[in-house]
Amino acid sequence: MRAAGGDGHPGPVIELNGLTKRHGGKVAVDDVSFTASPGRVTGFLGPNGAGKSSTLRVLLGLDVPDAGTALVGGRPYRKLRNPLRTVGSLLDGGGAHGSRSGRAHLTWLAVSNGIPRSRVEEVLDLVGLADVAGRRVSTYSLGTGRRLGLAAALLGDPEVLVLDEPVNGLDPEGIRWIRRFLRAYAAEGRTVLLSSHLMGETAGTADDLVVIDAGRVVARGTVPEVVGGHASLEDAFFALTEERGR
Amino acid sequence: MSAVAAEWRKLLSLPSALVAIGLTLVAMPALGTSTARRLAAQLDAGGDGVLGTVTTLTVGFELVPFAVLGPVVLGVVIIGSEYTRGSKDSGGGRQITTSLTAVPGRGRLLLAKAVVLAGVSAALAVVVIPATIWLAQTALGEHGHTWDALGPRVAGAVVYWMLMPLIALAVTVVTRSGIVPMVFFVVNSSFVSVTHLLTRVTPLAAYLPDMAGTRMFTAQGPVHGGLVMLAWTAGLLAVAALVFTRRDA
Repeated sequence: MRAAGGDGHPGPVIELNGLTKRHGGKVAVDDVSFTASPGRVTGFLGPNGAGKSSTLRVLLGLDVPDAGTALVGGRPYRKLRNPLRTVGSLLDGGGAHGSRSGRAHLTWLAVSNGIPRSRVEEVLDLVGLADVAGRRVSTYSLGTGRRLGLAAALLGDPEVLVLDEPVNGLDPEGIRWIRRFLRAYAAEGRTVLLSSHLMGETAGTADDLVVIDAGRVVARGTVPEVVGGHASLEDAFFALTEERGR
Repeated sequence: MSAVAAEWRKLLSLPSALVAIGLTLVAMPALGTSTARRLAAQLDAGGDGVLGTVTTLTVGFELVPFAVLGPVVLGVVIIGSEYTRGSKDSGGGRQITTSLTAVPGRGRLLLAKAVVLAGVSAALAVVVIPATIWLAQTALGEHGHTWDALGPRVAGAVVYWMLMPLIALAVTVVTRSGIVPMVFFVVNSSFVSVTHLLTRVTPLAAYLPDMAGTRMFTAQGPVHGGLVMLAWTAGLLAVAALVFTRRDA
């Protein structure tokens, strides 16, 4: 394992320590530790099934770990008051009921965390959904659904963003938009953690990387540190994951 | 409080919930009135002989365990909708992940749902049940009864309508899908009452929640029946809370 990067940043906002999660007998997340710092975009990289989503689900308080801790600003997610105002999150699949409109989905979410209703229209405009916000979510395409998920994540104007495969289903323009958006978000001193299996895309967006394979962290550090002597992040990634002889 | 407000919005923005509420508001008073009219015509023509096991006092009330399906559907969908998978195109996500990231306290989320459900069911009950009984008794004309006799039964029926949906909610928490509870409750309240058939097999079946609860509006030991149903509701909700707090989302 490589040395941790990102030293010298104030107050790590996301901190995972020795996190282990089993599904049945299978270890999905194995002793995972890393921090994601404010002012930086941290890419959480790994092949499908490496344990990225399982890790993020524990971080967001959805699943209970078998060992270890996951803290946001020093507190477990479940202890946050009005968590959407601290952590915005987007998980695989969107998480909106198909028979409601996008606007109705965002409205109940806003109400649940004491977020002003005017914010619903703001985020709809921000992600470019204002035109289709009155339509049922079940009529949305994958990309439109991702935009709605992103709007939900941004609803509470959070200091921390946790996004699971945010560019899935987005068109090239959407991908470019989200890359710029996340860079600007981190530049404001906020913390961005995004998971991906797309190496080129992540290398272009992230400052720091955590590479996970078969549930274990195989590398972490700044992008140049992880790429090391390899020609590209992709080469580094395959070197790192094949070392483990999967 | 914000969790309750959010659950209120969620329930009342679900088309299936609105259909259930609308059907209940229309169907029960309409059915009660037409039954009473038919009975009144028979009574006018042929005297008490047409009544059989029914009495003019129970007219309208026989619809209570059937039309409770409206509130019961609310109890099923308030949980079931959380676990409905989105289409494959949209990634197949479920709303429960969103709900629990917004309100991470499991107990708080479940309590908010129960409060909203009981509130909506009670509101529906205090409108629909007295209206149905009033319409039915009015249709009976001179064969009708006064509120002195009807009032306690109406109150019992309202309580029954608050508890049945909470039982449906608790069962759906455990099954994590609305389909099985929906089929069971629909069949049990309309086509073949499994619980009623069981009472012919064993006298213990009288202690099943819906059978015991029925006694609240048939005046056959309403307090005892009500307490039995209340105990079931509390017990099933406790099991649901235990399962919900310990299970991964």
